[in-house]
Amino acid sequence: MKINNYIKQLASLSSLAVMFCLTFSVQAQNPAPAKAQAKPTVLTGGTIHLGNGQVIENGVIAFDKGLITHVGAAGSNTSNANAEVIDIKGKHVFPGIISMNTTVGIQEIASVRATLDYAEVGDINPHVRSLVAYNTDSEVIPTLRNAGILLSQAVPQGGIVSGSSSVFYSDGWNWEDAVLKKDDGIWINWPPFLATSFNYEDFSTSVKRNEKRQETIDLFRTTFADAKGYYETGKPATVNMRLEAMKDLFNGKANLYIRAEYAKDIIESVKFAQEFGLKKIVIVGGDQANKITGFLKEHNIPVVLNAAHRLPNGTDENVYLPYEMPGILHKAGVKVAITYAEEWWRTRNIAYLAGTSSGFSDVTPEQALQFITKNPAEIMGIDQYVGTLEKGKHASFVVTSGDMLDMRGNAVQMAFIKGGKVNLDDKQKRLYEKYKEKYGQR
Amino acid sequence: MMKQISTLVFGLTLTSLCHAQETFPRNGAYDERKGQYAFTNATIVVDSKTTISNGTMLIENGTIREVSKQVKIPAGAVVVDLKGKYIYPSLIDLDSDYGMPEVKREPRATGRQTPQLESNKKGAFGWNQAIQPENDASKTFVIDNKKGADLRKIGFGTVLTHPHDGIVRGNGAVVTLTDESANKAILNEKASAHFSFSKGTSSQTYPSSGMGSVALLRQNYYDADWYAKGGKNQETNISLEAFNQIKTLPSFFETNDKYSLLRADKIGDEFGTQYIIKGGGDEYQRLEEIKGTKATLILPLNFPSAYDVTDPWDAEMITINQLKHWEMAPANASMLAKGGVNFTFTAADLKNKADFWDKIRTAIEFGLPKEKALEALTTTPAKLIKAEGQIGSLKAGMLANFLITSDELFNKENVIYENWIQGKKFIIAPINAPDFRGNYTFSINKESTGKLEISGTADKPEYQIILKDTVKVKPKVILANDLLTISYQPEKKSPGTVRLTGWISGKNLSGEGILPDGKAAIWTATLAENYKAIAKKDTASAKLKETGPIVYPFVGFGNEQLPKSETVFVKNATVWTNEKDGILQNADVIIQNGKIAKVGKGLSAPSGARTVDGTGKHLTNGIIDEHSHIALFAINEGSQSSTAEVRMSDVINPDDVNIYRQLAGGVTTSHLLHGSANAIGGQSALIKLKWGATQSDMLIPEAKTIKFALGENVKQSNWGDVARVRFPQTRMGVEQVYFDHFIRAKEYAKGWKEYNAAGKKTGLEVPRRDLELEALAEILDSKRFITCHSYVQSEINMLMHVADSLNFKINTFTHILEGYKMADKMKDRNIGGSTFADWWAYKMEVKEAIPYNAALMYHEGITVAINSDDAEMARRLNQEAAKTVTFGGVPEEEAWKMVTLNPAKLLHVDHRMGSIKAGKDADLVLWNAHPLSVYARPEFTMIEGTVYFDRKEDMTKQEKMTLERERLIQKMLNEKAEGKPTQKPQGSQPKMWHCEDIIGVHTEHEEGK
Repeated sequence: MKINNYIKQLASLSSLAVMFCLTFSVQAQNPAPAKAQAKPTVLTGGTIHLGNGQVIENGVIAFDKGLITHVGAAGSNTSNANAEVIDIKGKHVFPGIISMNTTVGIQEIASVRATLDYAEVGDINPHVRSLVAYNTDSEVIPTLRNAGILLSQAVPQGGIVSGSSSVFYSDGWNWEDAVLKKDDGIWINWPPFLATSFNYEDFSTSVKRNEKRQETIDLFRTTFADAKGYYETGKPATVNMRLEAMKDLFNGKANLYIRAEYAKDIIESVKFAQEFGLKKIVIVGGDQANKITGFLKEHNIPVVLNAAHRLPNGTDENVYLPYEMPGILHKAGVKVAITYAEEWWRTRNIAYLAGTSSGFSDVTPEQALQFITKNPAEIMGIDQYVGTLEKGKHASFVVTSGDMLDMRGNAVQMAFIKGGKVNLDDKQKRLYEKYKEKYGQR
Repeated sequence: MMKQISTLVFGLTLTSLCHAQETFPRNGAYDERKGQYAFTNATIVVDSKTTISNGTMLIENGTIREVSKQVKIPAGAVVVDLKGKYIYPSLIDLDSDYGMPEVKREPRATGRQTPQLESNKKGAFGWNQAIQPENDASKTFVIDNKKGADLRKIGFGTVLTHPHDGIVRGNGAVVTLTDESANKAILNEKASAHFSFSKGTSSQTYPSSGMGSVALLRQNYYDADWYAKGGKNQETNISLEAFNQIKTLPSFFETNDKYSLLRADKIGDEFGTQYIIKGGGDEYQRLEEIKGTKATLILPLNFPSAYDVTDPWDAEMITINQLKHWEMAPANASMLAKGGVNFTFTAADLKNKADFWDKIRTAIEFGLPKEKALEALTTTPAKLIKAEGQIGSLKAGMLANFLITSDELFNKENVIYENWIQGKKFIIAPINAPDFRGNYTFSINKESTGKLEISGTADKPEYQIILKDTVKVKPKVILANDLLTISYQPEKKSPGTVRLTGWISGKNLSGEGILPDGKAAIWTATLAENYKAIAKKDTASAKLKETGPIVYPFVGFGNEQLPKSETVFVKNATVWTNEKDGILQNADVIIQNGKIAKVGKGLSAPSGARTVDGTGKHLTNGIIDEHSHIALFAINEGSQSSTAEVRMSDVINPDDVNIYRQLAGGVTTSHLLHGSANAIGGQSALIKLKWGATQSDMLIPEAKTIKFALGENVKQSNWGDVARVRFPQTRMGVEQVYFDHFIRAKEYAKGWKEYNAAGKKTGLEVPRRDLELEALAEILDSKRFITCHSYVQSEINMLMHVADSLNFKINTFTHILEGYKMADKMKDRNIGGSTFADWWAYKMEVKEAIPYNAALMYHEGITVAINSDDAEMARRLNQEAAKTVTFGGVPEEEAWKMVTLNPAKLLHVDHRMGSIKAGKDADLVLWNAHPLSVYARPEFTMIEGTVYFDRKEDMTKQEKMTLERERLIQKMLNEKAEGKPTQKPQGSQPKMWHCEDIIGVHTEHEEGK
């Protein structure tokens, strides 16, 4: 009897819960994606940061059917009388931030395993794709576009070959809708030159040469040799999903993203990739890239850095080195992108990484801006669409109250993705409004 | 017949012939001998101060009878002529585990383990397995001939041995290194008490941290006292009983570095015990404080060997601290001696005991006086174990424990011939070995083959064969009792070994052998020329080894000279006063005697002031980080749901480079919290980031705070399936932990109050002092303030209600990510909120964390602070504060207070910190830009008028470090070139702590706060 009662009680509770969810869901869901641009729009009077170093004070930016039709000084846009004109005097226009090397959309709550879709089991997984796991309904995504991030590269982690990444707009009904570039590259983890080991006897951590790495390098060599052979065969009788996925590396469509931190790892892995004839090589992480800027420049290797907001790696290292890194690479002629390295919600602070890099090195804020706009676009091969504000490119940009790289000015007031005006509501803003109401604040 | 002889000849494996114990039965005839020996014509080193040249020492029955120039040698004494030789007292080691059962450690599994909350030891012992005062070395001691021989070989005669296991390890025994019996070896079965901070083989969960070990040991002292005063009528506790017996003995504390040494001494001070402390060999790095302990030290001799730094990039993993310690470790003893610190040495840490003399001589080369070295190995240890009447010097009535040596003990060429223990001779090297050094003509089968040259010392001859006047070959030679074995390869290219056996005949050598082709050979070596010593450069007396400067702290970015407080005049700056005056433009600030002397416009510089032009710059208070885990050796005790007894001040690490890094981000004060692994954590420590200063100079003792925690960490939600044992596992249980502990604390306080009021006459029993309940009673008494780690509204509400009902106060909710939901209730109770600017999404309980939290709480009138909980974020808290302007529109001046004045208020130190006002501490930062801007960076950071970080000085330091590094690397390369041993480069990485970290356990998500 008692058990029956309990079950009944549970049943009634759960139906209540369903009802509650339904009513609540209206509020709890992310807002609907932007509608396609209906008519030409012109923003006037703002300060326009083109993303290529150029700034137009009191500028005008016009766009239609999702594409930028004009950028210039105020009054320079004469065409189109039907256009909707928005006065943005005193405000700033920036290209949407492009955030590389994230787990946005494939990770929701770190401690809840069911929400983690970024690391597949096994060592060699070139065939797994973040594309299909990307969840446009992630509650994290709306908070990102509120910080000016309009594009994120979702990247598989783990193993030796982690899988392939794709680049998504921060808005869309589903992944198919949101994706800007599918399968832009394959990610590998180069075995680190030094290994950190933890001693459970005395709780100390020590760093020494990694004695086991050759095995991994041999495995890479075998895998890439087989993949190259497979590619050169054309149409093999037996389809191998893994090797099939690696074809794009050899035909030049996809980037090879190599996660490597130590200078020796970087040199070794780049030479490895070149040995297989790969041209589109990107170093990711690159904590010691500052030591080998000559090598990187000579081989034209871009570097996607770890978060500048990190501690130095060694106790004796320059306290500010992580802040100075992007500037050092840039000044040495290496193409550099700033990221939040495999994070998701934290990436909303990426503009501040760029700001910090400018505050602590010789690069100007306009140069630092390129580390999160123009450079990532070029590295991922999407610069024909995004990265800078130029005629013909996607009308994907944000309007802020001031300097986007500084906490003091970056409040995002409008965001456009392919010309559509994005709803800037998010869960956190709703909770804010709810409790302002509770306390009668303002 | 042959067989019967062989037992005697082959092995003296039977119990020894002489000196069997009086009470023991014998197998066979008695074999007592008088053991009467007279050593004549020797240089007798009685002790470091007295040497008798050409003296005689008479021993009998294992005891010294007489030592002097004129000794009447009794008839029947065996006379040993030691002309040209030396007699020394044999050496004493106080940190030995000789003869103790092996301490078997189960290999620790990785990751989290199922907790073992109670002791699994059988018998009426104490509650914690790591407290083992009942261990008695004399009851487990056995003669260990192998280890004994190793120690005798290097000159030791007596050791203090104890089991190296646990925090209280029991009593040690003084034993000689005789090979006879335990009964004979043990000189004092209860000589000493032994302590450490390591729980050893204890499988019990508590303690799991340095501060836990301290708390456990302190509580043990108090419990033992209670037990003696009447507790024994309430319970039988063998451990406390035993502890009371041993605690008055000479007490030895094993530590492993300078800071644990200081920590141990502090415990000794609390309980009136001066520990003798085994150090880690890095004492020179904090010499003044070590001197201050007045402790006698036991020093290890395992100086690090050089690293192989051939590859410049590989070498980078070695820190400047490692490089400098390599250079200076051998000078440690010398520096301590100069500083007047008393010490002894131990060979316990030497993997290869044969390195002992090399290390001692190295220490002497680095300036340790030889007399000091001798004392440290003989009289000093003897005194420490109150055995100076028996061992350590050579006086009538003392044990016949001595060494016969070829030379002065510390000479490089010295050979220990014999080590006599309790009158029994152990031969280490043949005494009076024939000296047949010289040049011989060498012939095989009567054909001249070349020359045999024998050089070196008489005791350690070196051999060389020169074949046909040109080819030099090093033969392998074994010489024993005038018998010789020689083997060598005449030609390197074609293998083939000549094997010779032979003997000494008069001044010549001869014998037979077999050539590589199998033919028999007869050989002779005829002395052609006597050995002539070639005067070698005496390397031992070479000039004292030079070392680089000591820096404070002894790590990268350390100071050669400690920075000093200055009089500073900051002129024409934008000054963020945090006072009514608000932000002053073009204002001046005068800093004098560590305080802010004046704030205003148009001030003039006081005499002797350094003027700093603040034009275009912003002067603010130093940032106060309300939630930090830097500069600590451990974070979480976390093994019980309440550990109110532990103190973070016990584990402050002044060497943590994060102190310097935070200074570089404008932080001057950090509130060091216990972790969040349990509902009631430990007592926090507030420190000023005085880089290079001592622990006590950094600590602000009047700030008395404690860490509490709620939520997922407390109920161990994310620790895997093994962590389902400890109460509580739900938020329901957390409430009960608080009720239970505070109700007990109330009763505890009441008990003491009644006892104190009644006076001692009434015969009331003294209540047991309980460090845990005492800390909680301080909270009830409003003398200690709670900082509570908290996330979701239900639990926040719960704790406020618990506090209300038991009449105590919550001071601060830290993290408090859903504080915005509870702001009105917090405001009603005047509780502060110390939060992150924008963290969320890393676990379930932060799902509803919003970046507007600080603003919503602020607008409700709550004192809001922005904290870091993270060494990285802490160095840009100015940026984090700025986010509250973006998210929720906090005025900039108020946002700035969230990292300065407000945390000062929450920590109850706002009377001296947190605003720029005459009379307050001069903890100031000069920023190159608006401090809330992402582009702002500190020009300098000062604490109490002393500049601890300066942007230009930082660059100078880096240049100096590069030079010092290279100097040391070149020195290491030289060592390698000289063929000295090197080790592979291996760096050490400091651990970055967060709330959740339990020592020895990696957290799955580093961002998991």
